[in-house]
Amino acid sequence: MSVAVPIPVIQLLQVLTVALAAPGVSGVIAKVEARLQGRRGPRIRQPYDDLAKLFRKEALAPEGASWFFLAAPIIAVACYLTIPLLIPVLTSYPLPLGYMGDILGGGFLLALASFVIATAALETGSPYAQLGSSRAKTFSAITEPVVLFVVFTVALLTGTDLPYALAATVRSSAGQVVRPAHLLAAAALFMVILHETGRIPVETHTGTNEFGMIEEARSFEHSGPYFALLKWGGELKQLILFTILADVFLAPWGLAATQSLGAVAVAIAALLAKAVAVGCAVAVIDNSFAKLRLFKITEFVSGALLLAVLGVFTLYLGGG
Amino acid sequence: MAAVPAPGVYQGAANVIAAAMLLIEFGMLRQALARDQIRLYMAQSGLLSVLAVVIAADRHLPELYVLAALSAGLKVVVVPLVLRRLLGRPGAERPDEEEPPGVAGSHALTPASAVLAGIVLAAIGFFCFGGLKIRGPAAPQTALAIAAAMVLVAFGLMIVRRDVASQAIGFLALENAISLAALVVAAGLPLILETAFLFDLLVAIVVFGMLIRAHHARAESLSTADLTRLQG
Repeated sequence: MSVAVPIPVIQLLQVLTVALAAPGVSGVIAKVEARLQGRRGPRIRQPYDDLAKLFRKEALAPEGASWFFLAAPIIAVACYLTIPLLIPVLTSYPLPLGYMGDILGGGFLLALASFVIATAALETGSPYAQLGSSRAKTFSAITEPVVLFVVFTVALLTGTDLPYALAATVRSSAGQVVRPAHLLAAAALFMVILHETGRIPVETHTGTNEFGMIEEARSFEHSGPYFALLKWGGELKQLILFTILADVFLAPWGLAATQSLGAVAVAIAALLAKAVAVGCAVAVIDNSFAKLRLFKITEFVSGALLLAVLGVFTLYLGGG
Repeated sequence: MAAVPAPGVYQGAANVIAAAMLLIEFGMLRQALARDQIRLYMAQSGLLSVLAVVIAADRHLPELYVLAALSAGLKVVVVPLVLRRLLGRPGAERPDEEEPPGVAGSHALTPASAVLAGIVLAAIGFFCFGGLKIRGPAAPQTALAIAAAMVLVAFGLMIVRRDVASQAIGFLALENAISLAALVVAAGLPLILETAFLFDLLVAIVVFGMLIRAHHARAESLSTADLTRLQG
């Protein structure tokens, strides 16, 4: 006896799951990280409390900042909430809005969100926020080729550039899982995710030292609900990227194949488990490596590029 | 565009091991310490033996188990040991020195540029051998293309690092690449031949060791930068 969940509800659930679980995933990572360092660490619901506190606070804008400064966090969160419609979050079959955009479409939305935040930081006239947005743009420009090569690999693996198609391809046989192109592309994507979520070895996300900041510095001038939106946006982005890595590349299993309530519930649990697993890996990396000097980040990115390019080579020139 | 079909679990695994060996070689490009380079060489040689075991298990070639064991014993244990001894006490005037002398700063290119140059070399290797469509009895052609890329990147390693220790490691990595190609194309080669090739390595090590010692005694450094000028 199974209850069927209507398709539009599943579609909504994809967005809601990501929206509501994102701060929790951050909380778990912070907890795991603290435990690895021998600290007790914050409560897992701390990010929710932070957001609740910030949403109750007064919002201030610097003098001379235009309306865009306040609109940017809202646009960014809107972008982040659109992406879960495009990627397999809960279902293995594409939902009606799933073909609204392909991987590049998702990439554009991520880039748009990052662009509006950087532009808002420029509006403030604050040197640190500007420094952060300038660095964020510089480094995202050098990670862009890596992302492109990962997309090329996906295209060569599936013949399309749809996330659902890659997930289905990976599920189809064990041969698809162990082929080098798939593993290399997944590893390159993981390195990009470390970069995009502002993790060690690229950036210390908990630090208060402005000199090493890249993405963190951009939100310095925002306050109250707008700052809350930016924080929440960062957490959303993290969970979205983890979902792409887990549900599209590494482990597209546990997704709901039908509309039944049980399958969808299992899919939600599986998504959270996978996101937490990726988060634990990130926390371990955070604790095992030192932050790279700013000018050494190119070496890190060149490593990611190497993985992605070799992935394409093995497919396009090597036939494997 | 049509999807590239998956070659199967066994071939995929062999390709992944070969790709990991290539990645380790790229690691050697940027590694700053001779000690770490030797470690990477050990890992690469270990992977080569693992690949031999995988091929032996899948293709029922029992000789390859022996070859894997011999190769592991020689390249993972003996060669690194000899190299460490050679680099560990390069001069009698510094008897208290425990660590091998650093090879940091011997990069002719910055690490990021070296990786980019390596990618270009690898592309040439892939392009040349991927097009040949050589089908060995044992391993897939992707592994052969990777071996070709490894040969070229090893040459690159010897060119972009200006110290004798890295160049010796580059040569040994080159030998690993050739062994990989041999495994792929001619896994059924008689064991005695394979073993003979393997022991050639010992000769190479001795020669390299003498070169390193002689160079160090003459120039009091491992750097080859001062060899570019002719001296009468």
